[in-house]
Amino acid sequence: MQSVWLSTHLRAARPRVLAALNRAFGDIDLAEDAFQEASLKALKSWQQDAVPNDPAAWLIVAGRNAGIDAFRKKSRETLSAPEDLEPVLEEANPEDELTRALDQSVYRDDILRLLFTCCHPVLRREQQIALSLKIVAGLSVDEIARAFLVQPKTMEQRITRAKKRIQAAKLPYEEPDAKARTERFSAVANAIYLVFNEGYSASQGPELIRGTLCEEAIRLARLLVRLYPEEPELRGLLALCLIQHSRQNARLNADGEAVTLEDQDRTTWDRKLIAEGNILLEAALRRANPGPFQIEAAIAATHTRSNSYEETDWNELEKLYRALEVIRPSPVVALNRIVVLAKMGGPQEALEQLKRLEAPLQRYASYYAVKGSFLAELGETELARQAFGRALDYSGTDAERRHVLKVLSKLDDTDLLPNSGKRP
Amino acid sequence: MLFSVLIYASEDFIDALTPEEHQEMMKKHGAFHEDTKTNKNFAAATKLMSTGTAVTINRDSDDFVVTDGPFAETKEQFMGFYLIDCPNLEEAIEKVKILPLDHGRIEIRPVEYFEGADFNNAERLVINAS
Repeated sequence: MQSVWLSTHLRAARPRVLAALNRAFGDIDLAEDAFQEASLKALKSWQQDAVPNDPAAWLIVAGRNAGIDAFRKKSRETLSAPEDLEPVLEEANPEDELTRALDQSVYRDDILRLLFTCCHPVLRREQQIALSLKIVAGLSVDEIARAFLVQPKTMEQRITRAKKRIQAAKLPYEEPDAKARTERFSAVANAIYLVFNEGYSASQGPELIRGTLCEEAIRLARLLVRLYPEEPELRGLLALCLIQHSRQNARLNADGEAVTLEDQDRTTWDRKLIAEGNILLEAALRRANPGPFQIEAAIAATHTRSNSYEETDWNELEKLYRALEVIRPSPVVALNRIVVLAKMGGPQEALEQLKRLEAPLQRYASYYAVKGSFLAELGETELARQAFGRALDYSGTDAERRHVLKVLSKLDDTDLLPNSGKRP
Repeated sequence: MLFSVLIYASEDFIDALTPEEHQEMMKKHGAFHEDTKTNKNFAAATKLMSTGTAVTINRDSDDFVVTDGPFAETKEQFMGFYLIDCPNLEEAIEKVKILPLDHGRIEIRPVEYFEGADFNNAERLVINAS
């Protein structure tokens, strides 16, 4: 093997190595420092010789040794190193030495623990996202700060505070039981989706880095699916991310305006991602253990099966949204279901149903946009204009705002026609 | 003689490639396509989806058991294969040198039997040779 793409080898090995070091030291900071040391050593040594057959095993050995050194220095005044933390002899073949440590069952749990540590329930959402990106995906503080439009110093503080909180919360190291495992999977899947969504919804920030967030989330989801193919929600999560991501080129037009599902050019959807998402979903559903990610993936998949918005299978969508409302009730899910109901039974009835969502969604732009479109369909142009005005007030991004402005100007155009009301 | 060119790589590594590195890798595949098609060696090309999409089917006495994922986890996964028609192994080896060999592993194995098919359900992912 030639010594090429060294940093990519480091990036690929990172989750596995950091998870193993975190288990060895029981301390994320120490594990990160040890990984850093090991990486520097790897860059030197791999350039001279070659990339080892198992870069992760090599890095774990180097990281353990570096970590033990640091630990000894630190603990000279305080305590002695635990007995099981003996450095591995450099002369021994590190790959043989560590084959055991890389045994499937062990590193599977190590990675789950590491990820769960990063999205521990004591952490706030933005802390979970920042920690997962920093520790597992290995993005730099600068990169994460840029993605969230904050100063690097602010992001640094956010990460430090998050680390302190998980240290204080003391995650136990014994094997989780079935229930705890399920909870961990669910927390980890949610955090990965947060990362994806942060990139996908592009609530702010430069596009390039946003795309990175989506891709990092997909990379983490792929890793988890590989480690835990028997967990249908993880496959559901990956399916959902892939299908959403398949539309990335259709979601903004040349002027950077948001293009809704209705108006997207479906020929630009990435068919490879859609095919992979659909088969992952089918494999997941064979388990007959549906969860929110599988249902959301099924909703996204339903859209991929029609060639145009007009051909959308609204009946199927209504069933899926109903199922989602049972499993994970939320006003946003209810709003989506009402949109589907309007497609099936007309806007009058749907407008009626919308009323109960006014309070919980009073600061949600989409609520007003939906209301506005119903009113426009009913010919209530003035009321529709008011609703879209509210949507404008609560839009989070330029793309969103420009889209609403476009709809508003269309409303003005139709207003000039006799018998107006229907959107073109 | 028909040779299969079997490609193995670490999915962790493939996932970690930067877009530029990925492009560089695909360029070599492109060169392989071009060379084998120009010289009438090309028979088939197949790139597999991630192992996360796989299921494994076994027989347990009278029952079929379908488990999720590939049968055994190894560091390297089977990523896809080419079929090329070459007069001998020597030439097959020369052709394969065009492919990206900096990471992962490529195995050349002669084909004993091969039959093609028409496709009903493969949509746009399958490109039938004319």
